[in-house]
Amino acid sequence: MSIVTTSGLTKVYTVGETTINAVDGLDLAIEKGEFLSIMGPSGSGKTTLLHLLGCLDVPTSGTVSIDGKETGELKPTALAAIRREKIGFIFQEFNLLPVLSAVENVELPLRYQKVKPAERRRRALEALAKVGLSERANNKPGQLSGGEAQRVAIARALVTEPALVLADEPTGELDTTNTIRIMDLLRELNEQLDLTVAIVTHDPMVAERTRRVISIRDGKIESDKAA
Amino acid sequence: MTFILRNMWRRKARTFLTIFGIVVGIFALTVLGGMTARMNQQINGMKGFITDKITVQPATAGSHMGMDIGGGKFLELSKKAEIEKVPGVKGASGMIMVQLKAAEGMSQPQLMIGYQPVAGASMFNNAKLSSGRELKPGDAGKVLLGSTLATDLGAKVGQPVTLLGKQFEVVGIMDTTLGVTDSWAFVPYQDTLGIFLAQNPYFKAEGLTQQITVFPKPGVNIETLSSKIQSSVAGIKTTSPKQAEKMISNITTIFSAIILGIAFIALFVGGLSVINTMIMSVSERRREIGLKKAIGATTGTILREYLGEALMIGLVAGACGMLLGLLAIAGLNRATHASNVVIFTVTATVIIGPVIFATILAGLAGLFPALRAARLNPVDALKEE
Repeated sequence: MSIVTTSGLTKVYTVGETTINAVDGLDLAIEKGEFLSIMGPSGSGKTTLLHLLGCLDVPTSGTVSIDGKETGELKPTALAAIRREKIGFIFQEFNLLPVLSAVENVELPLRYQKVKPAERRRRALEALAKVGLSERANNKPGQLSGGEAQRVAIARALVTEPALVLADEPTGELDTTNTIRIMDLLRELNEQLDLTVAIVTHDPMVAERTRRVISIRDGKIESDKAA
Repeated sequence: MTFILRNMWRRKARTFLTIFGIVVGIFALTVLGGMTARMNQQINGMKGFITDKITVQPATAGSHMGMDIGGGKFLELSKKAEIEKVPGVKGASGMIMVQLKAAEGMSQPQLMIGYQPVAGASMFNNAKLSSGRELKPGDAGKVLLGSTLATDLGAKVGQPVTLLGKQFEVVGIMDTTLGVTDSWAFVPYQDTLGIFLAQNPYFKAEGLTQQITVFPKPGVNIETLSSKIQSSVAGIKTTSPKQAEKMISNITTIFSAIILGIAFIALFVGGLSVINTMIMSVSERRREIGLKKAIGATTGTILREYLGEALMIGLVAGACGMLLGLLAIAGLNRATHASNVVIFTVTATVIIGPVIFATILAGLAGLFPALRAARLNPVDALKEE
């Protein structure tokens, strides 16, 4: 069963008199439980594709379906609901809120889902346990190392049990040891929880740890193969 | 709420300065509000004294709605008899005033008011007596005391008090009106006239009055009666209850205008500082807004979060400004207490008004930055460095 399908997905940017086809008529299907990477050089359109898949941006033409639901005609509030219920995001710079502790950061998506505080706390602690950070639950982001911060961000992405986790250069800020740790963690979560994970990266070391690698160049799929 | 308070705490100095800016305005608003409340109280305290009767003064007296009794000019008491002949007049009372104690600073002067009680008509229709009775026709050597003056003299009904060297028997003590009459002593006209003439030997006339108070018969239109007296009796000027109310409202309007002016200054300074702070906060937290939107926050959620922060700034500033204002009011009232002066009054409006005002002000000022935050495109916001 496909978690995500795109058909003729296109995103065109106009800068002055120049038009750029960041994503150019892309057809793609991601199945449930997949662990894949989207590779490509800088400016290839991989981050734009991630934003389109994550309902953060709207396509110029073509369609995106998430968990069987076509997103093209949806209003901003409905798109926010899809992001809230179906998608978990992991970013390169972790994007943890500095005023909140680790566990409060993990609770944030549940807060937007209007989950009750006690239940929220229980699930957030559970998610932190899954990434091995139970003992750092009450630390603020400033007190965490880069690797730990990214693990908190991963816990935040999976706490809502999303249909799809989208990661944008999740190891971009980390050293090799931490990169390997994070990739191993994501793979474990994928296997244990049957979590669908799509990672945007330009790092071959990251790509080779996924099971499917989609290479993108100039907004088009250059290759799509099992790693 | 957790977010709001922690976000405010992030930039302590900036939050403090913004709050401080509003506190100054709200402080001024509270103190002036207390002063206006006191003015209104005093004016309202006077109302019972002037609003159900017609005040007659010399034609040459200034415009003073009967509060300063005669404005230094005098009428012959014979005018009272002339007025009483006008159809519709139940009775009239001549009035003469001498000073017991001069005003000190902002205090009210203590006065002795001599009047001629009219049978079946109360001089103080709204004011209640806490004990005893009003003066009645035929009383001599009796006094009805305002509450503050009674306290000052330690007076009790039935006991004697000495005023300006003359002994009077206290027949009644009025309830506190918070108006100027609280420090007045009401005595029969003849008793006061005696004292007045002793103090002012150059006045040869025996029948002097500074003001005549006219009571209408039941069912008579008091406004029409006022005009009728004005046209029937020469050399006088009448003030009807309606005219008196108008003069009172003119005074209260002036104070309201002053308060409104201060409110606008607070509005301008406080509003700009909240807008500035909130715009800065939104600019600094664009990435966070992007992140929140990415993980499912709606436009409404972000709007509420930032509007909540602005409202909280207003609420805290309003509460602090109001409390400081109340503190200043308490201190100033205590300082003037010894001289029997109350400059400020604290009413519910004085307490709640500035806090609500500051909160709404900050909310309105925060609306534009909050809308800006809420409408941010998540992709653009996440790109921010």
